[in-house]
Amino acid sequence: MRLSSGTFLHALGLTAVVVFSLFPFFWMVSASFKSQTDILASPPVWFFMPTLDNYRAIFAESQVVGAVVNSLIVATATTLLSVLLGTPAAYALARFEFRGKSDLWFWFISNRMLSPIVLALPIYLLALQLRLLDTHLVLILVYLTFNLPIVVWICTDQFKSIPPDIEQAARLDGADQFTIFRKIYLPLGAPGIAVSAIFSFIFSWNELLYALVLTRRAVQTAPVAATNFMSGYELPWGKIMATGTIIVLPVTIFALIVSRHMVRGLTMGATK
Amino acid sequence: MSFLKLENIKKKFGDATVIKGVSLSAEKGEFVVFVGPSGCGKSTLLRMIAGLEDVSEGRLDIDGRDVTYEEPAKREVSMVFQSYALYPHMTVFENMAFGLRMAKIPEAEIKQRVGEAARILQIDVLLDRKPRALSGGQRQRVAIGRSIVRHPKIFLFDEPLSNLDAELRAQMRVEIARLHRNLGATMVYVTHDQIEAMTLADRIVVLRAGLVEQIGSPTELYDRPANIFVAGFIGSPKMNFVSATVLGIEGGAIRIGHPSFVGGSLSASPRIGGPLPKAGDKIIVGLRPEHLTLRSDRPVLTLTLDLMENLGGSTQVYARSGADSVTLLTPGRPAMQPGDSFGAGIDPDHIYLFNEDGAAL
Repeated sequence: MRLSSGTFLHALGLTAVVVFSLFPFFWMVSASFKSQTDILASPPVWFFMPTLDNYRAIFAESQVVGAVVNSLIVATATTLLSVLLGTPAAYALARFEFRGKSDLWFWFISNRMLSPIVLALPIYLLALQLRLLDTHLVLILVYLTFNLPIVVWICTDQFKSIPPDIEQAARLDGADQFTIFRKIYLPLGAPGIAVSAIFSFIFSWNELLYALVLTRRAVQTAPVAATNFMSGYELPWGKIMATGTIIVLPVTIFALIVSRHMVRGLTMGATK
Repeated sequence: MSFLKLENIKKKFGDATVIKGVSLSAEKGEFVVFVGPSGCGKSTLLRMIAGLEDVSEGRLDIDGRDVTYEEPAKREVSMVFQSYALYPHMTVFENMAFGLRMAKIPEAEIKQRVGEAARILQIDVLLDRKPRALSGGQRQRVAIGRSIVRHPKIFLFDEPLSNLDAELRAQMRVEIARLHRNLGATMVYVTHDQIEAMTLADRIVVLRAGLVEQIGSPTELYDRPANIFVAGFIGSPKMNFVSATVLGIEGGAIRIGHPSFVGGSLSASPRIGGPLPKAGDKIIVGLRPEHLTLRSDRPVLTLTLDLMENLGGSTQVYARSGADSVTLLTPGRPAMQPGDSFGAGIDPDHIYLFNEDGAAL
């Protein structure tokens, strides 16, 4: 196959971007299989004897596994709840006129305008009073306040793009409001719902500030566990990289699964 | 008793009244067409029958039951949308079965009904496809199929053919007419296309600015339009209007003066009746392009040729009669040059008369 120079430059540019963004990821994964000497070697070693020592060590000694489980519980619950509560709200905002609609809309946006740290202390005190410190529930509730607006925004926009005629056709076909939501809006809004679910999951998975403030040992999440290595005289890079790899894995898998639904033009062919 | 009955129906959006009191009725099995220019309220009226728009005032009966405030699904009507509004994530079969599923019809009957409708519309080979894999005409058939399977009391069509190209539109028009004949169903059809209205309708409702201008059979509207608006709307090319002056009344006929008339005047009888105009009144003379003849022994009008459009078998002639322009549709290809003066004849029975306010005489 002959490539024109334009196509070649295009491919070259794309390759550069991909290498640039994936290199840190590659470095992390490869370092997790290196010995401390290989990691610190200068110039860097590209071919090395892979070792599972780092993984053995963190599974044996640290709380990484428990932390990953905690993160999974919190992120999954938050994502499910955000989508469960956010999509009906988005449907209402997209299709109905009601008193206070624009205020409600602004309230959703303003939730994200606030820097999270501003609320850290009040929320800590609230959690303390409610005896919710160091529980999964407190993180789920806090993450929900940050994730719901995202789900509502993205899904409202997505639902608005569904031609109203389709809903009316369903009404004439005898579908009630809830059936229309379930059979028309959820399947046709899948791309937006998928995107917002990924955002929710990634946010809850990566969140560090509230996880540090609101948890102790029992409900320590993965990002908190990773920072635990950041003490002492020596930085155990191998273990940090192995922990990082384990932390990144579930989000990557989740994103890959969900991205199947992120296709454009789902409503194609409905109307013309 | 009428099958579909609208009594002084009104629709208000805020302060604006878009339907200003419409009353009409349709018999079972009748094909009623709402026609009018865009913005006349014809689609809004149809959507009120469907229940997709609230009725602000008035009363709506279907099959002897007051459904003014009834849910759309309980009115037993079905609608074909201008945009088709198919469910894009469902197959053709699922699209057609959706309403039946909602009505909890047994699966075996759903299969049978969908199959039957698909056969009628010749889409039985497409049942497993998604709408995106269909052509415009096929999508339209699926949309019609979706309304057939539900055996509705009334079929509603909202400009169903306006997204199709001319050839397909003509073909689907014939199919809808055939469907109406075979199902014997009551249909209400909205269009801005007067050809669709003329060819499909048992009865046409001409709407303008939220009011009914006239209701009648296509022939009635063509032969006896109630006013200048209906006269101009029904028929293609549009009726010509020449503003003239009444010279006098002679034994029931009106003598009308205009410089373009051969001899300065012509005589025509009013077809509707009502009060006759007096000498000196303004009067509007309506002449259909297809009624004007070029080769006439007794020409009535003297015209100046402006432009000719050769349509192959016939020619559309654009001419001037003083300040008014006059269009003629004539068979063959007349040999004339722009600027030429020529005479045109018309059967006096084909002359339409309107008073100054536009009401037919």
